[in-house]
Amino acid sequence: MTLTAASVPEVIANLATAAKDGVRITEFALPQMNRVLEYTPEDMTVTVEAGITLAALQQRLAERGQWLPIDPPCPESLSIGALLAGNKSGPRRYGYGTIREHLLGIKVVLSDGRVIKAGGKVVKNVAGYDLCKLFVGSRGTLGVIVEAAFKVLPRPEKEEFVQASGAKLDALRPLTASELAPVVLDLHNQEQDTPTLVVGFAGSREDVDWRLGQARQIGLLEPATLEYEEKFWGEAQEPHRVSVLPSKLLDTLRDLEASFVARAGNGMIYYRGAQAPEKPRLPGELLRRIKDTYDPRHLLPDLPW
Amino acid sequence: MTAGAPQPLLDSLREIVGAVHVITKPEELLVYECDAYTLEKQLPTAVVLPGGTAEVIAVVKACATHGVPIIPRGAGTSLSGTVLAVTGGIMIALTRMNRILDIDVANRRALVEAGCVNAWVTNAVKGKGLFYAPDPSSQPACTIGGNVGTNSGGPHTLKYGVTTNHILGLELVLPDGEVVWLGTTPDGGEDVDGYDLRGVVIGSEGMFGIVTRVLLRLVRAPQAFKTMLGVFNTVDQASQTVSDIIGAGIVPGALEMMDQLITQAVEAAYKFGFPLDAGAVLIIELDGLAPGLERQAETVVGICRKNGAREVRLAGSDQERADLWKSRKRAFGAIGRLSPNFITQDGVVPRSKLPEMMDFIAECSRKFGLRIPNVFHAGDGNIHPLILYDERDPAQVKRALEASQAILEKCIELGGSVTGEHGIGVEKIDFMARQFSPDDLEAMRLLRRVFDPNGRCNPHKMFPGSKRCGDFAPRKQIAA
Repeated sequence: MTLTAASVPEVIANLATAAKDGVRITEFALPQMNRVLEYTPEDMTVTVEAGITLAALQQRLAERGQWLPIDPPCPESLSIGALLAGNKSGPRRYGYGTIREHLLGIKVVLSDGRVIKAGGKVVKNVAGYDLCKLFVGSRGTLGVIVEAAFKVLPRPEKEEFVQASGAKLDALRPLTASELAPVVLDLHNQEQDTPTLVVGFAGSREDVDWRLGQARQIGLLEPATLEYEEKFWGEAQEPHRVSVLPSKLLDTLRDLEASFVARAGNGMIYYRGAQAPEKPRLPGELLRRIKDTYDPRHLLPDLPW
Repeated sequence: MTAGAPQPLLDSLREIVGAVHVITKPEELLVYECDAYTLEKQLPTAVVLPGGTAEVIAVVKACATHGVPIIPRGAGTSLSGTVLAVTGGIMIALTRMNRILDIDVANRRALVEAGCVNAWVTNAVKGKGLFYAPDPSSQPACTIGGNVGTNSGGPHTLKYGVTTNHILGLELVLPDGEVVWLGTTPDGGEDVDGYDLRGVVIGSEGMFGIVTRVLLRLVRAPQAFKTMLGVFNTVDQASQTVSDIIGAGIVPGALEMMDQLITQAVEAAYKFGFPLDAGAVLIIELDGLAPGLERQAETVVGICRKNGAREVRLAGSDQERADLWKSRKRAFGAIGRLSPNFITQDGVVPRSKLPEMMDFIAECSRKFGLRIPNVFHAGDGNIHPLILYDERDPAQVKRALEASQAILEKCIELGGSVTGEHGIGVEKIDFMARQFSPDDLEAMRLLRRVFDPNGRCNPHKMFPGSKRCGDFAPRKQIAA
């Protein structure tokens, strides 16, 4: 069943009901828990309820020239809780990293109704174990995320994208090594059969202009957008995902006959129309022990891995 | 009381690592009686120096068989008693396992053994336009494994993040001797399914097992720097400048403050050319592409002047920049000129509360009649008041501890934390219950039991109710 709640007490009550009825919770919906609890632009930190959508949060931050530097698909419908639980990311992860790098604190309702918090709202904090990390990417298996605090950044003054197709893919190597420091470094085949390389730059006007000049010299001439992203993620079928050493990305893609979007700088490939990748080896016993420790009654979703 | 080590255990340890790498003589164990937090001391039962992961596994298994505590240790530069052998036990020092195993420039990764010294990594990749970002002041001595244990920071973490943001994966020997690799593997992609166990091990203060190998993320070295020294008449002006720089949407590579007392001590020790009559100085370092730095630097200079800076000096050469940082990072070493003893405090407040926090520290200094110089990571709101005292005067010792406590309580009151980078260790156990609820703490204990069901790995740390070493054992402090 889907756990729906408008407040922390409701989350607790609904967990208790599910336990009493012996029903397993498979999804969470907290759309009414959508408040910004504390936003201090001068500290560059924000604390929100987990039901707020990423788009709504970004809009609020934009009023003060800031943003949470993460850009997963479908921000209008993606709640912060789902973003954290699914460890979602987008093309700009090459420049800014994934959500774990921006998360400062978290409040979670455990399956027995206990409310715990970890971390805090300051940008440096090593008091206690870093339980925040446990819940990022936990797919809702350990507890219900109800609040989160993030550090945010000033919005870049300028952001531009350029692309090159087909033969110019050799440009990839100097791009990862040079001072170009792109924030986006994607490859995709959404517009034509040969892959397109998309490169994004962000920063001050001077920085971006300098980088665009350098990029032109290696053949990146054509202005680009991130429209391929929307197209790719707009399809109903969930894509497969494989993570390889960035230096092995081109070889991996060469053998892959599929519709794909790849974060070339990170070695991430999302694809449809080919076999699922092999399952990686995981420290399964530790994962199971953690699950059983925090959710002994198995009220919450089972381990998906 | 010290847990004795049964003779058969000592015999096994000698067999595993060689007799020369097992230390049991009290005079040789003295080195290992504490870290840079010197208020509590205790000799470990023995110290073992393994030469590789296989030896660590064998040592850990032998200790498990005998039910003896194990305490991982790097260089011992930690500042909160994290590696104290509270009730004795076998200390596993990783200092022999100090090799850089692989540097992968194309993928910007380095694989190192846990005992590898932090600064060695950056030195090894200097010519390749890369660096390892976390740069604690102790970086010429501290180890990567120790950095993992305490999730170390440093001046440049303002822009680049702390240790957890730069560790891709690690090898961990669990307290029962099982070895697991957590996070990204050296030849694998960066995304790994499952819980982020690498993430929870970082900052776990050595309580989940022995970290033996670490896969580091390397960062592209900036093209250019603009390193400035802002000179202010008052701490207040400097604090306001910090708030205004961050508020203006500028994220410097580093933003550090030194007040007058510390500036004078540092100047006497290292002769950099700091003004002796300034109330506070700010080290502001912008880094990035040369084209964009010029305008950013102008903005910063403008903010300094608006807040009453009487001078903003620009480092004119790489040498001058290096000298400036050397002075800053050796600041703790200069304290010996001011006082026989000091407590290096570590706390965090929201950056906008910095002016209020600095006022409070000044008030504590007056109230407790102790000098409290400040040298700290202002841009992060990470304060390091140094509480000076003389251990020969018990009343002063008492007041120093009281001042410490008042400052940390204020950090919590202002919405901050009692530690930004030094850790809880034994020093700040009593503050855990103030910063966290009983349920928060129980959630942490649950996690520990997953990794260490018997609580045998680095015991008596972090949690309220832990055993303490007997009496305080004050002694002249070695500068951190």
